[in-house]
Amino acid sequence: MNIVALVVQYWPRLIAGLGLTVQITIISLFFAGILGMVFGLLSVSKRKSLRAIALVYVDVVRGTPLLVQAFFIYFGIPQVLGIQSDPVVSGIITLSLNAGGYLAEIVRGGIESISKGQMEAARSLGLPYGMAMRSVILPQAIRTMTPALINQCIITLKDTSLLSVIGVTELTQTGRLIIANNYQSFEVWAIVAVMYFIIIMILSKISKRIERKMSYGKSDN
Amino acid sequence: MGKVIIKNLEKRFGDLEVLKDINLEVKEQEVICIIGASGSGKSTLLRCINALEEATSGTIEVDGNDITKADGNINKYRQNIGMVFQQFNLFPHMTVLRNISFAPVSLKLKTKAEAEETAMKLLRRVDLAEKANVHPEQLSGGQQQRVAIARALAMNPDVMLFDEPTSALDPEMVGEVLNVMKQLAKDGMTMIVVTHEMGFAREVADRVIFIDEGFIVEEGPPSEIFGNPKNQRTINFLNKVL
Repeated sequence: MNIVALVVQYWPRLIAGLGLTVQITIISLFFAGILGMVFGLLSVSKRKSLRAIALVYVDVVRGTPLLVQAFFIYFGIPQVLGIQSDPVVSGIITLSLNAGGYLAEIVRGGIESISKGQMEAARSLGLPYGMAMRSVILPQAIRTMTPALINQCIITLKDTSLLSVIGVTELTQTGRLIIANNYQSFEVWAIVAVMYFIIIMILSKISKRIERKMSYGKSDN
Repeated sequence: MGKVIIKNLEKRFGDLEVLKDINLEVKEQEVICIIGASGSGKSTLLRCINALEEATSGTIEVDGNDITKADGNINKYRQNIGMVFQQFNLFPHMTVLRNISFAPVSLKLKTKAEAEETAMKLLRRVDLAEKANVHPEQLSGGQQQRVAIARALAMNPDVMLFDEPTSALDPEMVGEVLNVMKQLAKDGMTMIVVTHEMGFAREVADRVIFIDEGFIVEEGPPSEIFGNPKNQRTINFLNKVL
């Protein structure tokens, strides 16, 4: 069977797989964004204890493989708690926590890239720390953070393929299941690779456009 | 309003003692210039006055409020003290007008319309009204510093602190900033100015303070400090800079 016929035959399943991949990516990045912002802010706090909390979280995320994190959350924790775990939910939790750690580092780096004088100027006007952070530091930091943020989005999208090992039928798992039927490894993996490639190229193009807009246009708020 | 009393102020960074037993009283509407070599502690003293640096010991009172005990009230306290930095520190993502009106609006001291009206008034005062809607990056250093002064004045402070306001400027722009400061002094603002501009100190200051190695070595009217310095360290310093 040639590749075109394969694509036609398995199109609904491939598209469903890709759909789940994209859904998991978006939901995970949403929660990761919240985690990243919270822990990123903690890591630039004046209080040592708050910085320590952020440090532990980031170190754990960076110091363990994503696959181990997924196994721990899917198999390990449910066993101790005696609950049934759902592969998709476990997958989303894993990716959220994982990307959250990396985003926290990006947020920290972005905030630290803004000159100390900005915070001092804002505080010298009598603005409280939170207000100065929100209105003066973060709007500038986000601009410098954008390329790294986009990069993390792409990494997280690709990382969803690891969730195939806990049985999430995203795109990679779909490929494996199809091969289990027809043994056409070369053709199927080529199709799957091209599908990832296309979706990531689309995302890159969109993000390039956002990046350009942010670096040239100045927001007026 | 605008009275500053500093008593027994000490500041350490770890083992390094930057300020040692500083005592200083600044009267209402007085203009003080602080001079001294780099690393003498003069900027640190200024930064202690609005708590950008925390005093290790001693008290700093501005209009009767002790900042070393201010804790929760530190934001309120700072609203009364304007600060102008060597590097301007304007907010690059905001227009000039918003740089000035932003703090009074955010702190709900003024409505947006009121704050922008005040901002325009201040911009006219520093002769930059036509730049209201541009971003700071489009301004020269001297213009940026004048906007920074307007931004500090927008909070209607009783005391203005200047931390080497002309040190980062090209020579041809120093004059325009000093002129704004002179006008401010004439209008009766209490000012504490850390500066290397001896000409400005001589002309505008009511009192000049020479700091060396964390001590106030000598103070007095400019005629005395520049004309007839008594302490050998003051003499050495002035010989180097004049």
